[in-house]
Amino acid sequence: MRWFTDEWAQAVRASVNTGPSAAERERKLPSYWNWIERARSGHTATWALGVRETGTYVLLAWKDGTCTAAEITSDPGAADYVLVAGEAAWRELLEGADPGRMVMYRRLRLERGDVLGFFRVIYFFVESLAALAKVPTKP
Amino acid sequence: MTDRPGVGDSDLRQIRDLDIDDVLAYLHRDLKRLPSYTELYRRYLRQRWDVYELDFSQDVLDWRERMTREERDAFVGISAGFHHGERQVEVELPVFMLGGSEESKIYMSSQIEDEARHTVFFDRFYREVVGMPGDTVQEVLDASFEHVSETFVGPFGLLAYQADELRRDPEDPAARVRYGTTYFLWIEGVLALTVMKITLTYCRERGFLPGYYTGFTATCRDEARHVQFGMRFLRDSVREDPRLLLQIHETLRTILAINGATSHRLALESLGWTPEEVQRLMIRQLDMKLTDVGIALAPDLREQVSRIEPELAGG
Repeated sequence: MRWFTDEWAQAVRASVNTGPSAAERERKLPSYWNWIERARSGHTATWALGVRETGTYVLLAWKDGTCTAAEITSDPGAADYVLVAGEAAWRELLEGADPGRMVMYRRLRLERGDVLGFFRVIYFFVESLAALAKVPTKP
Repeated sequence: MTDRPGVGDSDLRQIRDLDIDDVLAYLHRDLKRLPSYTELYRRYLRQRWDVYELDFSQDVLDWRERMTREERDAFVGISAGFHHGERQVEVELPVFMLGGSEESKIYMSSQIEDEARHTVFFDRFYREVVGMPGDTVQEVLDASFEHVSETFVGPFGLLAYQADELRRDPEDPAARVRYGTTYFLWIEGVLALTVMKITLTYCRERGFLPGYYTGFTATCRDEARHVQFGMRFLRDSVREDPRLLLQIHETLRTILAINGATSHRLALESLGWTPEEVQRLMIRQLDMKLTDVGIALAPDLREQVSRIEPELAGG
């Protein structure tokens, strides 16, 4: 499956809704997953995650913690949070780079959206990136 | 705890004899009067130390032969955050220097140099003592990242994004105060000083890691200038425009909201600390800064502070 195609976007939506496997949950403290559930449960917003070189975005619409829609677009529209990374960073993420480190090193830039609001759910975002990265894909 | 004279004037060899509590007392004593930016810059010129003068040969022996595996794991876990943290603030500080008064800019140039030197300190420690592989600073950072907990990833990530926000307008007072709250109040004033207290007390009480003790105590004295600068900046900002207090509150709400998310537990007990003691230490560090510079907290924030999680580091 090629990345940033409609097929990939739907697979991403399924993956972020499914969340971590039992084995993945086991590797981290229950209190961590509880924090993420709390952050996720009330989350209603749209994320636009883009590739700098192509200007292509995957749009993920969240309603009360469920990703209700995903699409590929060249226009982030009214997304609450627009984040953009170069192809090299996307490739690293999809090849297994630590998504927390991608955030800490600002490999994805927040081009639009409230920084403090974004960080109040930051580990939910990090784990969603991890779920996105699990979808088998190629550039 | 005594407030011994000599902390401010000790050279690198004398610093080895200082107690971390004396350095923390030195830091807090001046929070009550807050030195000017020029005075802090002059202190920097007197207190600057050479990171390449540190001798880690005894540390290598302690690490390999005297410390237990649990102690080593806990030590790496708790200090890895600052291995990355020093690098993070070194690269995120220049944008803050672009705003403010000329005195602030001159002082800030010294703090950037401090942070670069602290990055080299941790690079040397992780390379020479812990034995992490890598030919470059980045490769050693890569090797230690797996030990960095969310307690650090969140605030350091927040700082990175706030730096990006500030880059759009380095003179924006609200963006500067939000950035300053994350950096000077939380990262420097709470996280850094807590890590220093835990690891340096362990080293002193066990008589281990004299190179680390010397370098990190000197780092703590540098942090005294950083925190004093930051608290003066926040105090003066709120005095000039009281509405900016809301920016401090909103930033703290975010930081405290993410503080409890830690994916791995660390055996702090092996370093002689219980989670409850670490929690009290973090709350005390925050309270002292806020009280000394007269920053009041809203009731909901006071409640959030009381629930600060002690899981300082995982790994």
